Amino acid sequence: MIPLKSRLAGQGQGRRFDTNDAVDFVVIGSGTAGGSVARELTRLGHNVVLIEQGKTYTRADFQHDELAIVLNNQYANTPPAHIQTWRKTPDAKAKPRHYLLYANAVGGSSMHYAANYWRFRPIDFNEFSLKGGVPGAAMADWPITYDELEPYYTAVEWAIGVSGRGGVDPDEGRRSRQYPLPPLDLTGPGVLLEIAAKKLGWRALPAPMAIASRPYKGREGCHNCGFCWNFPCEWGAKSGTNFTMVPEALASGRCELRTECKVRMVETDDRGRVTGVVYFDRDRREVRQRARAVFLCANGGETPRLLFMSKSSRFPDGLANSSGMVGKHLMFNGNTGAAGEFAHEVNGYKGAPVTRIVLDTYDLHDKGHYGGGGFDFRYPFPPVLSALNMPPEGPQWGSAFKQTLRRLHTRISHCWGHTSQLPVATNAVDLDPEATDSWGLPAIRVTYKEHEADLRMYQYMFDRGVDLLKAAGALRTWGEPPGDDPGVGVHLLGTCRMGNDPGESVVDKFHRAHDVPNLFICDGSSFVTSGRGQPTMTIMALAFRAAEHIGRFARRGEI
Amino acid sequence: MPDSFSRREFVAAAGSLGAIWLLADATERGEAVDHAAHQVTQAQPALSVLTPEQAAEVEAFASRIIPTDETPGAREAGVVYFIDRGLATWAKDQQPIFMEGLTKLSADVGAKVRGQTRLSGLTPAQQDDVLRSIEQTPFFGAMRFATLAGMFSLPSYGGNRDFAGWKLVGQESAMEFKAPFGWYDQPANRRALLGGDA
Repeated sequence: MIPLKSRLAGQGQGRRFDTNDAVDFVVIGSGTAGGSVARELTRLGHNVVLIEQGKTYTRADFQHDELAIVLNNQYANTPPAHIQTWRKTPDAKAKPRHYLLYANAVGGSSMHYAANYWRFRPIDFNEFSLKGGVPGAAMADWPITYDELEPYYTAVEWAIGVSGRGGVDPDEGRRSRQYPLPPLDLTGPGVLLEIAAKKLGWRALPAPMAIASRPYKGREGCHNCGFCWNFPCEWGAKSGTNFTMVPEALASGRCELRTECKVRMVETDDRGRVTGVVYFDRDRREVRQRARAVFLCANGGETPRLLFMSKSSRFPDGLANSSGMVGKHLMFNGNTGAAGEFAHEVNGYKGAPVTRIVLDTYDLHDKGHYGGGGFDFRYPFPPVLSALNMPPEGPQWGSAFKQTLRRLHTRISHCWGHTSQLPVATNAVDLDPEATDSWGLPAIRVTYKEHEADLRMYQYMFDRGVDLLKAAGALRTWGEPPGDDPGVGVHLLGTCRMGNDPGESVVDKFHRAHDVPNLFICDGSSFVTSGRGQPTMTIMALAFRAAEHIGRFARRGEI
Repeated sequence: MPDSFSRREFVAAAGSLGAIWLLADATERGEAVDHAAHQVTQAQPALSVLTPEQAAEVEAFASRIIPTDETPGAREAGVVYFIDRGLATWAKDQQPIFMEGLTKLSADVGAKVRGQTRLSGLTPAQQDDVLRSIEQTPFFGAMRFATLAGMFSLPSYGGNRDFAGWKLVGQESAMEFKAPFGWYDQPANRRALLGGDA
């Protein structure tokens, strides 16, 4: 067992591999997908070079520092090093705008996420067959079912320590094993959601969270410090891959972690097979690492970008893009939010961000909407954001505003809705024809506009969120429903979709690129549809499943 | 941060200053943050960017955003030092909006109170009159944002002295809390509200 202190300190670089020797696998990205793939491949006996563009952060970096971490985005992919452009529609010229946000660090966004770990439900995999499509959306079934993924959901829960209670909800998918850890301590927002759900005839469920509620595998249980959403965990209780998968991969003796290395292309030979990767190291020197196979797990923005940057005469439209599907169908999940003021102290700033959820709105087809979603009640941000998000009516400065701050900060609960979002072909990631980042590489260009059907569904979910706040006893509520420009995307999904048809998808059901036998792509980009708002658990289960199958293929010489 | 609502809300609320602070360079920001943290170890706060006269104006302004009453306000929390340090480091790009805003403020003061040029020389009621007259300007938005950021960021950045801001809003600073955390999750209250479902 790896001691907590060691996990919090990072694990160094691990074993060293020669760049000229073809390593079994290069894994690009150490986040939820890449960290998991690296750990699983090493367990199967394969050697892995794990390349991460961000740094290893350690406990000394983890403070309750809202200014650095939230307001200044200390861990994120921010300019001027990272450059993006955005446009609403494909006929427009893109302008500089930072649209896709992710943590640029070992562990990726799992090092600072809120850690909601919902499994998908069976309908998320075959909604198209069950419910049909929507004009203007490229709905399709996944090439796998919930039941095929279920063993990997369970494996993830036990590998990293997910807290929850299964079997409470009759509508959840089949579960082969109970959660390894009980739910986190119930908080004020959690109780308010229980009250609201009861009034509306709905069911408040213990939230599945990738935060250890008790000590687990040498890590601390949650100490309820409250600085969870957006913050790395000083206690090591949050089950991100920086504390779980990556240290375990390194401890195997079969993995080398190279940080602050920016991959600029996946190289192929004249047979169309991957031979390795080319990257800039932390001193921005170009390095070529040879590999027998490559796992691309760079996230739904960077993964398609790297495929486009890896084009060649054999792959003129980008590597693995004979289908034309690379970069298309970008999805973020819909996200609605409203706030309520309550009579007594909620003190949501203590404890886990989410302890109860409501999923009675998971399937809204019978309400005239496509898709659906769920709700949580959560704390109203750390103090600066809380102060900036007080009710819009009334004075916004001066003595009366000070009174508002004094009274409300501890008496607010938010209700957040998390929803499906339709795959739209024109919502896409590609390369900007002009802008470049600080490595001189083409910038990500995002084209994004909400689908009308989704906007109607978000309005419905927003209204139900306000209903929940009122049912919980809110004295007043505030907030706005989402508009057609989400402003930022943090769940980066759908841009290299899985499928059985090589003409309609980028990877097969085992995450092998249809066009390149030794290239594997697994992260949020693999999603065919968006799920209902909490994708990380499914990204991780896909990574466990992909690594197991591909690891076996490799042993049998079938890659 | 798998939740976009907050960021959207935040960017909307923060206005131009916040949006640009969000997009500061990572390397420079890291150095700036280190620098800022180093600065706070000085026994006497020193000004880096603002002149003493400008600092008096900024402090007077911030003190009307979060006034002093029976509890400390922006003045006692040291918000002016937070703003000065920010303008020297992570929010260096924002110097023009503050400098131009402060220059213009002199005229705004004169327009409200004949013969006066300094906000800090006015009574609180007169100061409020002046601020109401510029409430819709980017400078006011930047000052409001910076005052709240200074009031509630960690004391190591110069403001929120002795956690005055956190104490104001009832946020305890601790690495660990034990349930029950608030009124609703106290078992007796939860039972009363939920009956047999508790």
